[in-house]
Amino acid sequence: MREFLSVFSIGLFQNTLRTATPVVLAALGVLMTDHVGIMNIGMDGMMLCGAFFAVLGSCYLGGWLGGLVLALAVGLLLGAFFGLFVVKFKSDEYIIGVALNIFAGGLTVFLLRTIFGVAGAYSGTDALPIFGLPKINIPLIENIPILSDLLSGNTLLVYVSWILVALSYVLIYKTPLGFWLRAAGEHPESLRAAGKSPEKMKYLASILCGLFSGLAGAHLSLGYLTMFTENMSASRGFIAVACVIFGASNPPRVFLAALLFGFIDALGLRVQSFNVSSNLTSLAPYLVTVIMMVWVVWRGERKKKRLAR
Amino acid sequence: MKKLLGLILVIAMVLSMGLSATAEEGLKVAVVLSGATGDRSFYDSANEGLQALVASDLGIQGTLIECKNDASMFTTNLIAAAEDNDIVIAVGWEFWDALTEYAPQLPDTKFIFIDNGLDGVGDNLMSITYAQNEGSFLVGYIAGKLTETGKIGAVGGEDSETINDFIVGYRAGAEYAREGCEVQVQYAGTYDDPAKGKELALALYDAGCDIVFQVASRTGEGVFEAAAERGLYAIGVDSDQKYINPDVIICSMIKQVNLSIEQAVTAYATEGTWMGGQIWVADMATGLIDVGYGDDTMTQQVSDELKAEVEEIKAQIIAGEIEVPTAFAG
Repeated sequence: MREFLSVFSIGLFQNTLRTATPVVLAALGVLMTDHVGIMNIGMDGMMLCGAFFAVLGSCYLGGWLGGLVLALAVGLLLGAFFGLFVVKFKSDEYIIGVALNIFAGGLTVFLLRTIFGVAGAYSGTDALPIFGLPKINIPLIENIPILSDLLSGNTLLVYVSWILVALSYVLIYKTPLGFWLRAAGEHPESLRAAGKSPEKMKYLASILCGLFSGLAGAHLSLGYLTMFTENMSASRGFIAVACVIFGASNPPRVFLAALLFGFIDALGLRVQSFNVSSNLTSLAPYLVTVIMMVWVVWRGERKKKRLAR
Repeated sequence: MKKLLGLILVIAMVLSMGLSATAEEGLKVAVVLSGATGDRSFYDSANEGLQALVASDLGIQGTLIECKNDASMFTTNLIAAAEDNDIVIAVGWEFWDALTEYAPQLPDTKFIFIDNGLDGVGDNLMSITYAQNEGSFLVGYIAGKLTETGKIGAVGGEDSETINDFIVGYRAGAEYAREGCEVQVQYAGTYDDPAKGKELALALYDAGCDIVFQVASRTGEGVFEAAAERGLYAIGVDSDQKYINPDVIICSMIKQVNLSIEQAVTAYATEGTWMGGQIWVADMATGLIDVGYGDDTMTQQVSDELKAEVEEIKAQIIAGEIEVPTAFAG
């Protein structure tokens, strides 16, 4: 038992934070579209593009800032593209989402092979290195023992993701714009009657989603790792969708859901050393996802019943 | 008129297909990968073997087909390749079921099964397996000698027989070098998530391991990053991976899939030798299993004395004086 408790080390929580951050960033994007009534399952593909273009920018535009800018620019384009099809052409959002995922997989493999001349993975060469995101030490916390390990020395986008969670919350629940965004999803007719265009709100949400996907991708390929490998998003975009549903599209709750997912994942790989089969432990995050979903549905049903009474 | 035109077109197409098939000469070889190129390791090595055959003066035409870990494509691609080629090389243990079922139904095509042994299926199938346990014994020995903490780790792609064959050999080698050397193993459950590989390696380094052996394809790329971040060491797999990061990769366990493919096909093309129905175990004696240290321009963490010791152990394994345990039953 004592040995088992040793699993709960500072490393576990650092791991949780690292694993959760790309999911948090992606989830913030998904929740924007979720509020306007669009289910975006193309997040995984958008994130993969973000990861690739971040590396491309970091190599050719002189540093991580270039990578970040390019990833955001491509995210913006993809978001607008997604919005164009879903809002303007009224295509099925699921089909567009699936198409985006497949497109991203193909495009990044193609570009990786043509631009960098390698298949599979690019982790930088001496002639063309990848510049990763800087790590930031927070002045005061830096000197507090346990907190410094957790809160200081993370890469830039980890802190940005925390700020963005707060900003997203304020935007959605405390500003008129957030009110219109939510109205575009819940009651578009009323919004139109109030003289605002639900379509514009949907475009805005799609573009915000694209920007978040760019950040999520950039964090994956420049922050978490400093490399691009084919299909490196590894379904994190889908986990993000699950977190959004679990957190009822409320940014702080979604953040907690992502942390829970990260925690389970980190815990899973640590209990392997206690002779628990790896097949079981790698199942854990997905098992938790299913349990989360069942709980969400169960809670929803109960609420409905209560209202009916 | 339209119908006639259509008919003529069809006939022309059929004829041209027939013509193009007869116009080409030489042996046609297809390599079907269960995964995809770009792992800088196992699959890339198989592809190198094919490219070397094409470049040789045997007049071989080569085709490369990637299944990209899509299980639904294994059978389809295998049959498609068999229809157009004389020799089909199935790279990856994942083809076990497909070959068992379809090799006997396609007697005109010769199959080479890489990385797992199937016998008794038919004379048109030969298997090549690799004594990765012997190669892993050597890198395990090096790790056991170099570790300062007495703890080393390994990151495996999944908990399967082939991967465990590496691990078992690695463990034995470490124990041989340093009695009581602790070996911790983590499985990723995926071959293409380097972020996961990095986390697993960081967990191992946190637990006190100072050298980690990666046996996880692209997931393993993350192991090298973790090593660089912590200023500790890693060991590469299948190809000589030292060039990826010479400062942290101390050596690589090499499994020369490329040479084994070259040798098997060349033997058939020149002398007609074919080990149908048999399993060829490419062990240390064949020279296909080895340890790579990169080239002289790279930082060497393994001393010349230790390299000499490794050579001695190699000779002992070949002579049968050291028997390396294996994960395969029987």
